Amino acid sequence: MEEKLPNQEDKKSFYEIPIRDLDPDGLLDLSEKMKLSLSVDDMIEIQLYYASAMRREPTDVELECIAQTWSEHCKHRIFGARIEHSSPQGNEVIDSLFKTFIKGVTERIMEKKPGFVLGCFVDNAGFVKLDDDQAICLKLETHNHPSAIEPYAGANTGLGGVIRDILGAGKGAKPIASCDIFCFGPPDTDAQSIDANDVIHPLGIMRGVVRGVRDYGNRMGIPTITGAIQFDPSFIYNPLVFCGTAGIIPISDIDKEMSPNLRVIAVGGRTGRDGLKGATFSSMALDTDSHEEDQQAVQIGNPIEEKKAADFVIEARKENLIEFITDCGAGGFSSAAGEMLSEVGGNLYLERAPLKEPGMTSWEIFLSESQERMVLAVKEEFLPRLKELADIYETELTEIGDSDDSGILKVWHNGELVCELDNSRLHDAPIRQLKSSFERGEIQKYEWSQTDLGDDLLNVLGDFAIGSREPIIREYDHEVQGNTVLKPLAGKSGDAPQDSSVVRIDGSDRLMSIGLSLLPEWGKTDPLAMGKATVDECFRSLIASGANPEKIALLDNFCVGNPDDSRELGMLVETCKGIAEAAEAYSAPFVSGKDSFYNYFETDQGPVSIPTTCLISGMGVIENPSHVTGASIRNSNSVVLILGTTDSKMGGSVYARIKEKTQEEVPHANFESALNDYKKFHKAVSEGLILSAHDVSEGGLGVAIAEMAFSEVGGVTIDLEELPTQGEMSNAECLFAETPSRLLIECEPESLGQLEKIFEGSDCSVIGKVTTKHQNLSINVGSKNVLEVGISTLKEKWKNVLTPYY
Amino acid sequence: MEERPNALLLKFPGTNCDFETARALEASGFSTTILPIAAFKKESLNSVKLVVLSSGFSYGDYVMAGRLAQLETQRKVGDALTRFRDNGGYMLGICNGFQILTKLGLLPEGSLIDNTSGRFICKWVHLKKNNDQNAFLNGLPETFELPIAHAEGRFVAPDGAAESYVENGLAALLYHDDVNGSSSQIAGLSDQSGRVLGLMPHPERFLWDSHHYDPNWQGDNSGWGAGYMIFKSIYNTIIKE
Repeated sequence: MEEKLPNQEDKKSFYEIPIRDLDPDGLLDLSEKMKLSLSVDDMIEIQLYYASAMRREPTDVELECIAQTWSEHCKHRIFGARIEHSSPQGNEVIDSLFKTFIKGVTERIMEKKPGFVLGCFVDNAGFVKLDDDQAICLKLETHNHPSAIEPYAGANTGLGGVIRDILGAGKGAKPIASCDIFCFGPPDTDAQSIDANDVIHPLGIMRGVVRGVRDYGNRMGIPTITGAIQFDPSFIYNPLVFCGTAGIIPISDIDKEMSPNLRVIAVGGRTGRDGLKGATFSSMALDTDSHEEDQQAVQIGNPIEEKKAADFVIEARKENLIEFITDCGAGGFSSAAGEMLSEVGGNLYLERAPLKEPGMTSWEIFLSESQERMVLAVKEEFLPRLKELADIYETELTEIGDSDDSGILKVWHNGELVCELDNSRLHDAPIRQLKSSFERGEIQKYEWSQTDLGDDLLNVLGDFAIGSREPIIREYDHEVQGNTVLKPLAGKSGDAPQDSSVVRIDGSDRLMSIGLSLLPEWGKTDPLAMGKATVDECFRSLIASGANPEKIALLDNFCVGNPDDSRELGMLVETCKGIAEAAEAYSAPFVSGKDSFYNYFETDQGPVSIPTTCLISGMGVIENPSHVTGASIRNSNSVVLILGTTDSKMGGSVYARIKEKTQEEVPHANFESALNDYKKFHKAVSEGLILSAHDVSEGGLGVAIAEMAFSEVGGVTIDLEELPTQGEMSNAECLFAETPSRLLIECEPESLGQLEKIFEGSDCSVIGKVTTKHQNLSINVGSKNVLEVGISTLKEKWKNVLTPYY
Repeated sequence: MEERPNALLLKFPGTNCDFETARALEASGFSTTILPIAAFKKESLNSVKLVVLSSGFSYGDYVMAGRLAQLETQRKVGDALTRFRDNGGYMLGICNGFQILTKLGLLPEGSLIDNTSGRFICKWVHLKKNNDQNAFLNGLPETFELPIAHAEGRFVAPDGAAESYVENGLAALLYHDDVNGSSSQIAGLSDQSGRVLGLMPHPERFLWDSHHYDPNWQGDNSGWGAGYMIFKSIYNTIIKE
């Protein structure tokens, strides 16, 4: 077998791989040798296909192509699997997490809200309606494994890739904003504590990743407007890097269709050996060898190449020259051609592809994930104008194939047919059968007795989870394109944190808000609660910025350790239940998503998995520029209200983690009352009654009120006796519990009457006021002062958390 | 009928603030064409009153910012820009455009190098005018705010030169604080003719009040920002000629 595999010295560009006579062990052996990441069942399916349908042996090109197509990275087979799940609620069989908890939810919401979702799950990104003419879209991707072994290039191409997703959405959407979300080990991790060779210290990861995102986003001229970072030791070996991009497109350009007799053209960068087998690499666990062997799987980014291609695509779309477009992402030409020619059929000629280096074999050209390449299908009559545009924008355009009506994809290399696939059969990967289980850990209620609340608040503000992200945000050009109206740092001081970021849209009176949430700490104890809370927090942050609660769409991105471990898979199942319940309750459809598995590392002491992580991001439509609401105090004589009740459950909170009391119950969101509150809040926003609003999330009320005060407009006095709570609570619980569904609101004293009417029936109280009499955060319980710290002291602590490290 | 003088925005591969800069030019009264450098012809400058080099990363700026754009401009445009200025044309370079104009020798001697922090900086800064007569700045108040976004914005010049530029008003725009290490806190520089201005801050990003980081959210935010006044000043100057 081995001597048949292609090697450098050999001149032949493809090989036939005999598999007909292999037994299951032999098939698995072949899969491992070729690094196909295919299971025995998969290999048997392929063997059958070639023996019965094709009546011949496969070529290496075909096997590589099937492996990429069927990889977890491309096919999401775990989300499509049949799962036997056991939990305290009993045993159940879930026929596809995706169908049950994501697609099903969205379909029901789409029926209730016709005309809002204009495309989901099929194209590169999900689309929702902005106004009668334009749609907005959003896509988030992970680039975890490449960023683990080569942080700069991994993150660089992570953002580059998701930007191309938007360029390839519809007939070519215009990228208008990006976001990035990272999970790293703590920057102060002791290097000696890392139990494996070649693992890059979290500081190296963070610096490389941030610079990678910076250099791609800034050079592309797309503002990086929002993001988040989680720090936890469980991310040391396998950091998470999510990159997202939003786009805008005329509604009439969303639908694209292939037809016979179109020319297939490649635009942008050349094809090289960088990024070989990226999709299968992403579908395996990491180990020390990954750092040596899999460098080839990491692509090399060149943002200017992509910028030129982007300028070309947007202009070509405006001139109506594009029939179909997609990006070359995971799987390279094989997935792009597969997507384009899977229904109609057609030919691809590999020798026509411009290469970075000579001597590439057929499968290398077909599967290479070299960056900055877009593939378009166009009418022959438009080719002259397209070539002219390519010259003007100085990007390379090559005809690489054509479509026919055969229904079969034929790949040629120097006159030889190297791959012939019946695409209707190719995509039939066997459905996986999995088992999962979830058991709740031991729950314990702690005493949160009297402690120095001032010190506590400083410690929470100084924690890596809470501290200002300013050093990183300032490295991103978050204002390019001139439309970022609610910036990541704003308020009178210009450096106070905001909830969501908002961009105006040229040619529309409406705006787009982008928000997100991830709470891996919650999932460690209660993944169901984590699922619910991430949807709630994302939704709430969009509402807080002024979005219409009727016009919010969500994206789900999951990162999981080892799915073959039934407990880890069980956490994922519970998380999915949580997000589904919340999304359904809020009528916020999922329009796009992505999952990443095998996020664990084989250390010398055994495997280290990441905690099950669910990132919910969302886009919301803001109806009017006057609805945009910041999260920083604006007037020195205003009053502060809280909407929503505070619960004493401290599980999942930053405070509990700092105090090392992590066994407590995690709070669950109450969607019915929350949605009512959000609708009322939006009414208040529409009537111009809200000066500013901030979601109460990580760090609890104490952090939220301090963050609002960081605009340094005045001192703030709070009375905890006025705080709506569920039963008797200690001061620490009031200040640091992270109960979902709460909003802090600032308004003029004169607006109180109107607001009381709007919020009638809700848990909403005036809990404090802004004053010029002092410049402190002053927290009282009735007449007794329990915390008094200068806002400048709090802010200095908060601002200097990351500065020593970045 | 309102007169709309022609502005030409020259775009290089990697130029990326062309859209919003053209939007600002249009809003202030210009008729604007965005022209990729590959499509430049001799007659492209005919009837043009203002040439604008917008911001971005021309050719990636992997070597000194603006260096490749300078070489490509010299190759494709020759001395057409110099003649354009000598014949009464105006030129504005914003951020990367400032770097390119400097490299082209269309501005007084000096260079824009890495910020002292060694980092990209995206933030709003306070600026002050140092030349009331400048055609691009005459409609602005003495002090105003604009955002900056650059990694190579520290202006340096031969010994004593920066001080003399401040003295003679060529350094038409100064930072109020030291934001990037610029000599004499120079933020913008004009040539001897007063017809060419380069500046690091981004006027196209403060077109309306709503662009500010702390606007009156619930109020009317459609008023003009300080950035608009730069485009309007040069528009008014051109219209009066």
